Amino acid sequence: MTTSPAGVRPEPASFRDPANRVFHVGDEVLRGLDEQAAAHWRALTATAFFPALVAAGKVCATEDAPPALVPASAGDPWTAVLRHERIPFVSHPYEWSFTMLRDAALLHLEILRAALADGFTTKDGSAYNLQWRGAEAVFIDIGSFEPVRDGEPWAGYRQFCQTVLYPLLLTAHLGVDFQPWLRARVDGIEADQLRPLFAGARRLRPGVLTHLHLHGAMQQRHAEASTSDVRAELRAAGFSRELLLATVRGMEKLVRKLDRRPTGSHWSDYQRTCGYSAQDRAAKERFVTDALTTGARPRLVLDLGANDGRYARLAAEHADYVVAVEQDPAVVDELYRTLRAEGQRRILPLVLDLADPSPGGGWRGVERAGFAERASADAVLALAVVHHLAIGRNVPLPEVIDWLAGLTAPAGAVVVEFVHPEDPMARRLLANKPDGLFPDYRRDTFERLLAARGRITDRLELPSGTRTLYRTVMGG
Amino acid sequence: MIHLAYLDAGSGSLIVQAVVGGVAGAAVAAKLYWRRLVDRFRRQPTDQR
Ligand SMILES: C[S@@+](CC[C@H](N)C(=O)[O-])C[C@H]1O[C@@H](n2cnc3c(N)ncnc32)[C@H](O)[C@@H]1O
Repeated sequence: MTTSPAGVRPEPASFRDPANRVFHVGDEVLRGLDEQAAAHWRALTATAFFPALVAAGKVCATEDAPPALVPASAGDPWTAVLRHERIPFVSHPYEWSFTMLRDAALLHLEILRAALADGFTTKDGSAYNLQWRGAEAVFIDIGSFEPVRDGEPWAGYRQFCQTVLYPLLLTAHLGVDFQPWLRARVDGIEADQLRPLFAGARRLRPGVLTHLHLHGAMQQRHAEASTSDVRAELRAAGFSRELLLATVRGMEKLVRKLDRRPTGSHWSDYQRTCGYSAQDRAAKERFVTDALTTGARPRLVLDLGANDGRYARLAAEHADYVVAVEQDPAVVDELYRTLRAEGQRRILPLVLDLADPSPGGGWRGVERAGFAERASADAVLALAVVHHLAIGRNVPLPEVIDWLAGLTAPAGAVVVEFVHPEDPMARRLLANKPDGLFPDYRRDTFERLLAARGRITDRLELPSGTRTLYRTVMGG
Repeated sequence: MIHLAYLDAGSGSLIVQAVVGGVAGAAVAAKLYWRRLVDRFRRQPTDQR
C-alpha cells in the first residue's frame, strides 16, 4: 500500500477502479473521486432515482466532504471527496446464506433498473457491491454509478453472473453450498467451471441454458473480439435501452424463482432437541443479560455458534450491533429469514466455520479481510460452543481461550459456557473419540486458563449441574 | 469517442445479452451476425471454398 498521512488507511479492497478510491480515517469512510467520477457524482445527485434509493436505505448514505481529508492519488489530488455511512461490520458474499445472496442480487438488479430508467447504469455487477445493515441489504459502491450510453449492454453482466447468479444456480438447482466456491475465487465462478455440472436434463433448469451454457459458449466463441468493437456492432444492430431493461427484468424474474432446497440439517432443530431444562434456560438468559449490562454498552457483540439467534437477539437489546456466526448454512438461512421478516437492522447473521474462518483473500490476501482481522468485539458470546471446538475439532483448550481473547477488544468481555465432560452433549461428542484423548477437558483446567487470560467477574453453574457460565474481562 | 470500462465486460458476455432479450434481442443478435457474415463475404471473396 502507498504511504499516507498518519491515520489515513486506504481500503485494500478498493483499487480496481482507479477513478475512485475508498479510505478510512478514524471511524470515517471516505471516497476520493477523480475529475470524471466527480462529474458523475454531481450528475447522480441531480437525478430522481438516487436520492430516493438513499432515502429508502437501499444505497448507503453519502455526502460531500472536504477534499483535504484524503491524500492525493499518484500525483493528482482528488477532485472531490465523499463521506459514506459506516457499515457496522463488513462481510463477504461467501459468508452469506443463500437467501442473503438472493436478496442482495435482487437489490442490485432493482438499483440497476431504477438507474437505467433515469439515464444511469452501474459499471460493474459484483456481489461485493453490497453489504448489510443487520438483515437489510445495502448497495455501497457509489463509484459504480455512471451515465448510461444508449445502445450498450450491461458491462457488469459477466461479473454479476460470476459472483451472484452462478452461486445461486449452484445451490438452488443442485443443492450444493456456494460459499466454498465463492471463497476460493475472488472473481467468482466462471461459466466453464460450472457448465460440466449442468449436463443432461439439468440444462433445462431455469436460467441454465441461457445465462450459463449459451453465455459460456459465446465467451469462448468471441474470446478474440475486442469489447469496443462488439459494443459498436451491437449499437449498429439496434441494441436499445429497452432491450437492456428487458434483460434486467428477466434476470429479476429468474432470481426470484430460485430457491434453496429444504435440507433439514442436523442443527436446525436444535432448540427443541438441545436438552436444556426451562430452569437452565432462564438462568442462562439472566446471566447473559447481566453480563452484557454490567459494563459500558457494547458497540459490537459477536455471538459464536449462534444457532437460531436466541442469544444474539438478547444481546441486541443491550448492544449497538450483533454479528451472529454459525457454521450451518441452512440454520443461518432460517435465522436470516426471520430477522428479515422482523425488519431487524442490528443483527447480522453470517455463515462461518469457527474452526476454519474466512482467511484473507484476493490480491496479497488483504483485498478481502479475513474474519480475524475484522472481528474485534466489545463482548464475545461463546455459549455451548467450546466443546464443539475442543472435542469435536480437537482444538486444545488453551488455543480456544487464546482465540476468544483475540476476538475481544481491549477490556472487552467474554461470556462463555463450559459444558462439563459429564454433560450428555459433551459425552455424545466424546463417544466419537478414543477414550482419554482429552484429559485436559475439565472444568478446573478451563477455569485456570480463563483466569490466566483475564479477570473472571461472574460465574454461574446452571441448575442441571453440568454446565458453567463465566463472564471474563479480558486482559483485566 | 471510445469508452473503455475499467472492467473487462467480455465480448461474449455483451453479445449474449442480446440473445437472452426475447424476440427483440434475438432480432438484434440476428442482425449483428448477418452484418458480420456480409462483411466477411465482402472482405474475402476469394476465401470461399
Ligand atoms: C449447542 S449449540 C449452541 C447454540 C447457542 N449458542 C446456545 O447457547 O443456545 C452449538 C451451535 O454451534 C454451532 N457450531 C458448532 N461448531 C461450530 C463451528 N466450528 N463453527 C461455527 N458454529 C459451530 C452449531 O451449528 C450449533 O448451532
